[in-house]
Amino acid sequence: MEFSAEAARLIAVGLAMGIGTIGPGIGIGMIGKAAMEALGRNPEARGPIATNMILAIAFAEAVAIYVLIVAILLIFVL
Amino acid sequence: MSKGRIAVFLVVGGVLVSAASFIGGSVGAAIAGREPVPLLVVSPPHIELEPGRPFGYSFPTNTMLASWLTCLVLIVLSLLATRRVQLVPTGLQNAAEYLVEFGSNFIEQMVGKEHERHFFPVVVTIFLFVVTNAWLALLPGYESLRVNGVPLLRSANTDINVPLMLALVSAFFVEYMGFRSRGIAYLRTFLDVRRLAAAVRNFAKGCLREGLVDAFYGVLYVFVGLMELLSHCVRVASFSFRLFGNMTAGSVLIGAGIFLVPLVLPSVFYGLEALFGLVQAVIFASLTAVFGYGAVYYGEH
Repeated sequence: MEFSAEAARLIAVGLAMGIGTIGPGIGIGMIGKAAMEALGRNPEARGPIATNMILAIAFAEAVAIYVLIVAILLIFVL
Repeated sequence: MSKGRIAVFLVVGGVLVSAASFIGGSVGAAIAGREPVPLLVVSPPHIELEPGRPFGYSFPTNTMLASWLTCLVLIVLSLLATRRVQLVPTGLQNAAEYLVEFGSNFIEQMVGKEHERHFFPVVVTIFLFVVTNAWLALLPGYESLRVNGVPLLRSANTDINVPLMLALVSAFFVEYMGFRSRGIAYLRTFLDVRRLAAAVRNFAKGCLREGLVDAFYGVLYVFVGLMELLSHCVRVASFSFRLFGNMTAGSVLIGAGIFLVPLVLPSVFYGLEALFGLVQAVIFASLTAVFGYGAVYYGEH
């Protein structure tokens, strides 16, 4: 079976984005869940909870952005 | 015309425009196997990671021009807001005072009252620069006005150099705050040999057991310090890629939206882009503040 570089690249990009965003997706969901639970226990601490949740989500999302950069590089540059 | 009737007109009009764009545009054309309507023909998104040079090689890039425009907008707004300072603020001065107070409270929440004054300039400048870059890029004309086939203006956040610059500024600022508040002892975060020195002292005295415990913890703390050094270096790459990736992905998304369903999808993504620009600016600024706070208060062990 002939396996061209173009086909390999497309498969690689699909796999990269598909597998690479599983982790951050689950991570961000868990952070949101913990934030909701904390908010339910203590509705008065809404400010600090929201701030820290955004911070933690930024860290988790950055990993997904790394995967996106690799995918864009694969498709359009290499 | 009552409000209900206006709402009905708007909804029906919106549905009609959406259907026309969907059916007549590229998606409908691909499904039905015909050419898209000539009014709605758009080329597929063409992504360039490198900034273009509209005036040739010896002139600035389009992202540089956009960042100059951002600086101009910020400077003009600040001058207008502080022109005739009144005790009871109105208009632009009111908005500026609100921004200053909000930022001040936000930073105070993160770093405490006594350091808030030192953190405020750099953190809020980073925030204002990133958010103005992101929001100005939503104006019509960015990436569509072309000179010599190259867009004249392009969001400065989509050029890897600008997030890298901001990340380096942030890293230098964090190290500066560390050295400023703790002097040369700040280097102890990266190489902490106090416990090892205590271990050597214990061995010299002959207390073998305490010496072994201190040696174990000493090696552990040295390792932790090296990991801290690595983390500081990786932080620069992480900051720059976070901002660059979010902004580039946003512009790619809008480009793809214009290609797929021309008149409707970009409007939805514009709102998302505005929100993401603000969120990324807040994240960049607050992460700078948090890491600066960590440098100032590191290691109570």
